[in-house]
Amino acid sequence: MALEAVARPNAGGRFVAVAVVAVPLAFVVSGLAIRYAAFASVSAEPGFAAYAQALCRWDCAWYVGISEHGYERFPIPGQSNVGRWGFFPLYPMLVAAIRSVFRFPTILVASITSIACSYAACLVAWPLLEKNMRAYVLYCAFLLSGPFSYHFTTFLTEPLFVLLTSCVFLALKRSSYLAAGLSSALLSATRLVGVLVVFATVIQMFTDYRAKGGSTLSFPRWLLGRPDLLVAIFISPAGLFAYILFLYLTIGDGFAFLHVQRAFGRVPGNPLAFIWDGFSAVPTTGWLPTAPQWSALAALIGLALSAVLAVRRQYGAALFCACCIILPLITNLASMVRYVVGLAPLTILLAMLSSASKLTFLAALALFLGACYFMTVAWIGGYLALV
Amino acid sequence: MPWSDISGRYLRGARLASYALAAVLAGTEIVILALALNPNVNADYRAYYIDRTTTCLNRDAVGSYTLGETVSFRSDGAKKAAGMRVCGWSGPVADGTHSLGETSRLRLKIPPLHDSVTATLQMAAAIRPPQVTQRIIISVNGVRVHAVTLSGKEPRTVSFVIPTAALAEARILDVAFDYLDGIPPSSAASNIYKRAIKLLSFRLDPVEPG
Repeated sequence: MALEAVARPNAGGRFVAVAVVAVPLAFVVSGLAIRYAAFASVSAEPGFAAYAQALCRWDCAWYVGISEHGYERFPIPGQSNVGRWGFFPLYPMLVAAIRSVFRFPTILVASITSIACSYAACLVAWPLLEKNMRAYVLYCAFLLSGPFSYHFTTFLTEPLFVLLTSCVFLALKRSSYLAAGLSSALLSATRLVGVLVVFATVIQMFTDYRAKGGSTLSFPRWLLGRPDLLVAIFISPAGLFAYILFLYLTIGDGFAFLHVQRAFGRVPGNPLAFIWDGFSAVPTTGWLPTAPQWSALAALIGLALSAVLAVRRQYGAALFCACCIILPLITNLASMVRYVVGLAPLTILLAMLSSASKLTFLAALALFLGACYFMTVAWIGGYLALV
Repeated sequence: MPWSDISGRYLRGARLASYALAAVLAGTEIVILALALNPNVNADYRAYYIDRTTTCLNRDAVGSYTLGETVSFRSDGAKKAAGMRVCGWSGPVADGTHSLGETSRLRLKIPPLHDSVTATLQMAAAIRPPQVTQRIIISVNGVRVHAVTLSGKEPRTVSFVIPTAALAEARILDVAFDYLDGIPPSSAASNIYKRAIKLLSFRLDPVEPG
């Protein structure tokens, strides 16, 4: 009897472990099948290479260029104003490193690496989803077979960004600040906004300190007395500073990644005005929302979910996500859909909320899988400029 | 030696090492920030990317040119015109090369000139009511040589003399077009996207004596 009592939880634990590994794997396969079917419906050319190339749209070409040729110096060859400096280096570097071992075309290597990163992001999210299997299934479905799964399976920074963000928040959940700092350092070399996660780290330190009975006023003094925490904080932006140093040494301008935005026509403005303009861009024919409307809607949903995170006392994640939306929104709505769906705390929250009941779980799952096909067609066809 | 002493020393050492690492990280980041705040770039880079005082990023483009030759800036003259275009242009397309931004520049290599030359340009205004005219200031080698106002969609031939003061035995002719009434595609759009003119052709002739 006693043995049975021990064996049952172990068997249950093994089943859960197998499920945690198998669920994202199943969605890797289903996602590939759905997106390939979408690709086949609009393309005469068969094969995985053609499929990977078809999914490589918008900013993807920039990352392929960085991975293959690195960053330009100034003046930019070809009399161009637009340097690759605005695109952060870690993910293209990772793909270049893998390609140096497996000598396949860049987009093939990148697509497989992206799928692997997204798969790993699912595994890391399991404890963040409070080991809720329904939520886990939805999260994996969203990332790997969902309406925006092309973002997480082609050569864009989102797969690595989601993985590293999940690593940071998992480390913070376990109060492993040095691990959070190291993940943050990598995150800050993946996308500019990645550096903002350092605020979530400090907030978590403060929350933990308060939970142990510390007072708000004595927090700075306590922090200065913890050199391990200071290392975690100062190492967090190391990736960004390394990139700034690289740009200074090669171009002479450490902030070239910001200054080059001029050549992309990005002009600072009022985020509210950009959202209003986005919603005002009504379709001239048909009823499908225009790309600016999608982007404005994504920004609002992202900010609303950030507020929900704050209500649930996840202040660090809420601040990080809100900043990651508002900062790019200062220039315009470009890429907003990608930025919002690439925020792991928001998609994890969405999966948790959607899995509240069996009905909402099934509805969300069906929606994710069904929309995957149509959104992939739209992405490949360029109908939706969801850069 | 008691274990507590060893662990105590070890902990003190680890704390000191952590403080040192934190200080190195913070110091390095401050130095990198200081470098980034003092960019080491040339004037063209600074004007376009940092100060944003121009929409036309100067490049070392120089086209070859023979006096008396008419260069088409429509699609049919793309190859010849491409070498002369420095910045602030898009195209060419069937109706000419379109200006882009608030300034456009052409640069061409010329033989040494001791007398004035006449420039003849065919241009059309970019119009979007209520903006129905385009004021253009043309400078050569930094000397203002002509100002013109274009109106209507039809191309117009603009001729002006480039005085010897602007040439000064220069082997290079740097022609700048400054647009005072460029039309942005939308109110929120960057000024690098403003449209002002379509250039259809360019020609230089020696001024006839007398």
